[in-house]
Formats: sequence, structure tokens, C-alpha cells
Amino acid sequence: MQDDYIIDMRHITKRFPGIVANDDVTLRVKKGEVFALLGENGAGKSTLMSVLFGMYQPDAGKIYLRGEEVKFDSSDDAVAAGIGMVHQHFKLVDNFTVAENIVMGVEPKKRLAGFLPCVDIKEANKRVKDISEQYGLAVNPTDMVGDLAVSQRQRVEILKMLYRNAEILIFDEPTAVLTPKEIEFLLDIIRGLRDQGKTIILITHKIEEIKKVADRCAILCRGKLVDVLDVASTSVQHMANLMVGREVKLETTKGEPHFGKEVLKVDHLTVRNADKFEVVQDVSLSIHEGEIFAVAGVAGNGQGELANTIAGMQDAYKGTVTLDGKDITSETVRNRVEDGVAYIPEDRQGMGVFMNLPLDENLALRRYYKEPFSKGGVLDHAKIREFADDLIERYDIRSGQGGRTITRSMSGGNQQKAIVAREIEQHARLLIFVQPTRGMDMGAIEHIHDQIIAERDRGAAVLLISLELDEVMQLADTIGVIYNGKLLKTAPASTMTSQEVGRYMMGVADND
Amino acid sequence: MTDAEKKIGGAGWFQRLLDGRWSHIAVPVFCVLLSLLVSGVLLVVLGKDPFVGFYSFLQGSGLAPKGSYGGGSGIQSDFFTFLGYLAPMLLASLGFVVGFRAGLFNIGISGQMVASAFTATVLVGYSDLPAVLSKPLVIIIGAVVGALLGAFVGFLKYRFNVHEVVSTIMINYILNYIVGFFINMYFVNGLTRSSLPCSTDAALMIYNVQIGGISCTIPLGIFLAVALAFFLDWLFKRTVVGFELKAVGQNPKAAKYAGINVGKRLIQAMALSGALAGLAGVAYYCGYYTTIVPKTLPQMGYDCIAVALLGNGNPIGSIFASILVSVFQNGSNFMSSTLGVQKEIASLIVGIMLLFSACGGYFRFLAHRKVQRAEDSKIKAKAKAEAAAEGMTGEGEK
Repeated sequence: MQDDYIIDMRHITKRFPGIVANDDVTLRVKKGEVFALLGENGAGKSTLMSVLFGMYQPDAGKIYLRGEEVKFDSSDDAVAAGIGMVHQHFKLVDNFTVAENIVMGVEPKKRLAGFLPCVDIKEANKRVKDISEQYGLAVNPTDMVGDLAVSQRQRVEILKMLYRNAEILIFDEPTAVLTPKEIEFLLDIIRGLRDQGKTIILITHKIEEIKKVADRCAILCRGKLVDVLDVASTSVQHMANLMVGREVKLETTKGEPHFGKEVLKVDHLTVRNADKFEVVQDVSLSIHEGEIFAVAGVAGNGQGELANTIAGMQDAYKGTVTLDGKDITSETVRNRVEDGVAYIPEDRQGMGVFMNLPLDENLALRRYYKEPFSKGGVLDHAKIREFADDLIERYDIRSGQGGRTITRSMSGGNQQKAIVAREIEQHARLLIFVQPTRGMDMGAIEHIHDQIIAERDRGAAVLLISLELDEVMQLADTIGVIYNGKLLKTAPASTMTSQEVGRYMMGVADND
Repeated sequence: MTDAEKKIGGAGWFQRLLDGRWSHIAVPVFCVLLSLLVSGVLLVVLGKDPFVGFYSFLQGSGLAPKGSYGGGSGIQSDFFTFLGYLAPMLLASLGFVVGFRAGLFNIGISGQMVASAFTATVLVGYSDLPAVLSKPLVIIIGAVVGALLGAFVGFLKYRFNVHEVVSTIMINYILNYIVGFFINMYFVNGLTRSSLPCSTDAALMIYNVQIGGISCTIPLGIFLAVALAFFLDWLFKRTVVGFELKAVGQNPKAAKYAGINVGKRLIQAMALSGALAGLAGVAYYCGYYTTIVPKTLPQMGYDCIAVALLGNGNPIGSIFASILVSVFQNGSNFMSSTLGVQKEIASLIVGIMLLFSACGGYFRFLAHRKVQRAEDSKIKAKAKAEAAAEGMTGEGEK
């Protein structure tokens, strides 16, 4: 009986300061199945898999692999045992080629002039090409990783594992960074890998994906294993309820929009990147009070630059940005904030927070210089802490040591929650939200969507930039589709179907 | 006692101390003790008594009584001489700390020291101004010249993206030779080949103060230096400016996002760093010495980097670190005559100390790993015991 299970984790408990990440979790995975691990942020999915992958040692419990007990002191041991992990944040060297990244650490060697050992790059390229063809993961071995799109980088990560003969592949939130089309493609890849006899563990909080690809599914809630389900015979609603631990509504309900005055006007805006390439071309749009303007588009089509330019992080090359009738094209970031611009950037760890500062200081980032948080240039840490504690409470930001937690040690979803909380709390005139729910679980997404709608109903203008078509369709009053830096189509949300939007996202222009 | 339990004993109080919440103090202290041990071995190898050696450093710095004193000098005068050396060392390392916190590596402290001391000497030191005017003027000029030089470096970085390490090293050479040129042309003392001394009114010292029957020279820079250390600590911990400087140092992109004027703060950080270096310059050349040797950059401008790092990049830590290093540098003459070894051995000891301090992070890592392993083996032992118990019941069921 036991032999059926390739992985058998028994009574795993893992504690971190102030938190029990895994509480007596027992998990069994069969060989050759796609096994999903479903749970909210901080439910302990990633920790459990890091334990399996040897990155953490469990405080209690045992792991059996193919029926034999194993102890991994590091992830190297796990890799040697045939386990591979595709991390949420890729671990690749940008200025190495695809093949170099894949073989790094286990390079094929040759001897130059008969004795000088060196890496056999030709052989590496060949092997990478072979594997990529075998599993249908098209990559060019000699491309620089830095030039690749996100979905291609992910493929490189997967190939890295396959190159090391991994039989068990752990995917940590693999679709968080992908576009709808790319997600479909990845799910195909996962099915393909399963058909070739690999065992797949999928960490996710997107139930639809589980429905599409997984055979069985374990649900974790606050560190505990809630249930293991057969996916085919379980409803989406039931899974969602188990995951959040209460009833959730899957559709966001929002009332009719009431447009007021124009808040943001972007006029013929062109933005160049460092290479003088026009990443945003001649974009014009206008957003009113009480309007959610959603920009749909595949990643890397200029959305990030558009948002950055409106928020003042990047300079406009041509064109103007007007807020409430005032030209802010060359205003400083702080003046824009004071004028009422809130901004959730795409790059949350590199821009949205200081990873090495405590949570409370990050939460006060928009107001620390003003009374009552500082007087005469002297900070009032007590006031900052008080403010932060309030936000932590209301937005359910989970961390080990409350406001004093160093932000780096928090989970990605909770870092995002902190940014969202901070920006919404500004009660700004214009909210620029880039992927506000990226990497978040359903309960949190629901909460944030409600907040965005509440901000709209309060009379704020919302510029929502999302890669998730569902999110765009759910929230938008007006949809603009961006492709190659150009706004291809702008129309009221009610006049467009998701199929149409999807077509524009692929760059198919209007017929009329 | 199982093997695992014995291993727990391996990670005792010592590792826990290095890994615990006092690690920011425990690790540097451990590094210093370790380097004293190694230096001691070095002295033993040279055939000298290390305890006599270390004691002689303290004696030379006026922190311990010497066997006998020359005419008119005593432990008091030695001590004030030591403070005179300590003042520029502390100011210079504070200068480095300020830049370091804002993510800037100011290698130009020695150049900034020379240039500001030279300017102050020429403008005030050679004038007939009374002490009440000239002493504050020397301080102000020192700070202003240093600040301008620092701000220039900050401006180059902000405007033209010139890395501060490159620009400061080049500016060091430029300043060194310009100052050397002017001293040699106009202000040279023909006998000593160094610059003409600045006046006693302008020098940042109070001469001939009778303490316990000994005439002492009291350096003024030390009061300024210690006060500034506490001020900077407060600045970084409590003020908006300090917070923004730290923020810029940690992540300029996030700082811009937070609405901080990154360019302004960069230039301010370099200006403040330069101002402190300028103060170090006048404290050194107008408060410890009174002359400038042309075409020679002060070694202190580089030593202070190590001192700042030994002090964990913290203003208060810099006080302790600069005291330590100054004891060895300043006491080296007396040590040399006591032991009969070259006084350069002092530089060697300081070098060893800095080497071990640089390894501080590694020692912390070792301690952390040991503690971690001990905890793991504790858990494993527990799991083993549980497994054994489970196995017994399992067999019973069969």
C-alpha cells in the first residue's frame, strides 16, 4: 500500500518565530499524478514544500521518498534524490545564456588541449536542446536569459530541473507571473510532464487551474491540513470555502458607476526607455471620478512604464499628464503624492517597499514626514507604530513580530497587502494599481477588490493595470487594451466581451 | 547521554552569545580579543612579552602610568595627546559612517582632510586674529571646505553617474598635489620641509594647562567629535533626514518611489561626510599637529574606513572602535622603545585587528550554524525517541 506513494510526509511540524507554519501535516503523493496544494497566503504551502525540498528542516515529522525515510540537509540532497523546484522568484543569472543557466553546477566538462579542464559549452547546448525537444519546452540554448520573457524564463527553470533528472517537480505559484495564454501553455506543459511519468506538485491559490490540471488537491489553512480532495468530483465553491475557512463569493459585485469630473488626463504620452526605444507610444486616456479604467494587456507591452510615468518614477518623452486640470508632467513624486496620486507598482520588492526596514516604517512611507508622524523633522516612532498597528489589524497583514518585523522576512502576499493597505489609506484622487492582487489568495483578492470599488464609489479615479483578464472584466468600467506600447482600443466595459479583449491583447486591430 | 545530546553541549553560551540579540556587540569584541591573541603570539615569536607589549600601548596613550616620565610630562599630558589623536580619527570615521549609511563609499576622506586643513591654516592660521575668533573660524572653514568637496563628489554621482569611489580617489591625488604645490611654493618651512605652523591662537588646542603640576595641551576637537557622534546617532534614529538618508542608501529606486529627492539626499550625504572629514582635517593638522607635510595624504583617511566598519557602521560604535585603534597607533612609539621592536608592529597589530573584524560576519555565521545544528539535533533526538516508542507500539499491534 505504502509503495503507491512516491512522497509520504508524516506529521510535519515547522515553527518560525511567532508562527507555526506547518502544524502536524501529513501528505501523500502518488507517482505520476498532478497534486495541487491549495491555500491562502501564509497557509504554509511554500514552507511545506521547502521542507520537502530540503531548504528547511522540519521541527518534527518524517519524510519518506519511494518508501524509504530520507533526511535532506540542503536542497542539493533533494535534487540528488530527484526532486526539483521551480520557484516563484526565478533563480537565474541574467547575463548567462539559457544553456549556461541550466547546466550550472553540473556542467559537462572537456579537457582543452588534452589536460586543461573546462566547460563544454557545445555539449551543454546540445543536451539542453535535446531535453527541450523531448519535453516540448521550446527554448534557444544560446539566448541570454536577460533578454527572455517571463514565461520563457520559467521554461528555463523547468528545464534546469529536468536536466538534473528530477522525477518530482514542485511548482511554486507558477502562473502568478503569466498571461492567460501563457498559463494555458504552462498547463499543457504540466500535463505533458505528467504523461511522461513525472510527479508534479503544484502550489497555487487559483482554483480554476487546479480544476484544469490537477488530479488530487490538498487544502491547507493556517498551517493545518484541512482536507485532501479528488479534484474531478469537487466543486470550485467547496474548495474555495475550505481554503478560506468560510463562505466566499467568487464574483465581485459592484454597483453602477457614477462618473464625475475628469481627474486624470493623459495626452499623447510617449515614453522612452534607457535604450531610447519608445515603450509607450502616443497614449491618450482620461479617467473620471468614480471610474475604474482598466488597462488590459500581455506583460511587457508598456503598462509598467505608463504607470511609472504617471506616478513620476519615469520621465515623459513627449506629451502631458494632467491631474485635476493641473499639468503634473514634470512634478516630483512627492508633489504628485501630495496632489493625490496613490501608486502600487509592479515591482513590489524592488520599489514598493524597503526590504530591510521594519513593516511599520514601510507602512508609514507616504506620511512619515508629516505631522503627527514627525514634528520639526523629528520622527515620532510611537505614532508611526500606532498607525501601522491599525493598518496591520484592518488589512490582516500577517507577520512574525507585528510592526517590527523586517519586511524581507514576510511572505510575498503579505508584503503586497502592506503596499495595498498603505496606498488605499491615502484616500487619493487617483489610484494607480498595477497588479494589485498578484500572488494573493482568494480571500485577500476579494477584500482588495471590495476596497478598490469602495475607493471608486468614494469618487476616486482608478487606473487598474492587470495581466489577469478576469480581474479586468470584473472591475473595469472602461477598458483600454495596450499592445506594443499603444492603446489599441478604449471602450466602456459593458460593450466588450472577454474574448474581444483577449483578441486585442494579441494585437488584432479593429476591423472598422 | 546520546550523541545528539552531547552535541547540544557543543553550542554553548558562547555561540549563543555571538548569535543572539547582543551579537552586534559580542561579535566585534570577540574579533578584537581574537586579534589580541594572535598579536600576542606574534610578540612571543619575536621574543617579547605580549603583556608588557600591550600594557606599553596603554602607557603610551596615557591610559596607564609609565615607569618614569621625562621632564614636564606625565600621564595627564600623555592622555591629552592621545585625545588629540583620537579626535580626528573619530571625526573621520564618522564622516565615513555618514556616507556609508547613505550607500556611499567615501574614499576621499584623506584628500578632504588635507584640503580643508590647508585652507583653514592659510586663511586663519597665518593671520593675527585673536583666539576667540580664529578657533571657531578654523572649525567653520574646515567643515565648509570639506562639505563643498563632498558635495562636488555627490553632484558628480547624481548628475553624471560617476561612481564616488573613482571620483574621490582621483580628487585625492588632485588635492594632494595642489596643496603640496602651494606649500612648497609659498608656505614651506625651509628646515623641516613641511608647512609653516599655524598660530597658537588658531590651533584647536589650549596650551599650557596645569593639571596636577604637569603642563598639558588640551585638544578641543575631541569634545566636538564625541558630541557629533551622539548627534549623528540621533539623526539616523530619530529624524526625517536620517531616515531618508538610510532609505536612499538601502534602495534608491524605492526611495524615489517614497517621494524622497534622491539626488538632493545623495549630495547632502556626501556634503555631510565631507564636512566631517574636513573637521577631521583641522582636528589633525591644526589640533594634533600644527603643520602639514606636503604631498603626503594622511593614513588616517583610510584607517577611518576600517574603524567605521569595526564599529558596525554605527556612530556610537565608532567611538569605541576609534579609541581602540588610536590606542595602538598613538601608543606605538612608547611600545617601540619599551620592547625594542619597530614601531610599525603597531600598524601590524591594527592590521590584524581589522582583518579579524572584517571576518566578523563569518564568525557570526559559524556561531549561527552551530546553534542551528544543535537545535536540529535536539529535534532529531526527540523524533528518534518518538519513533522508537512508535515502533514498539507498532510491533505490539502486529
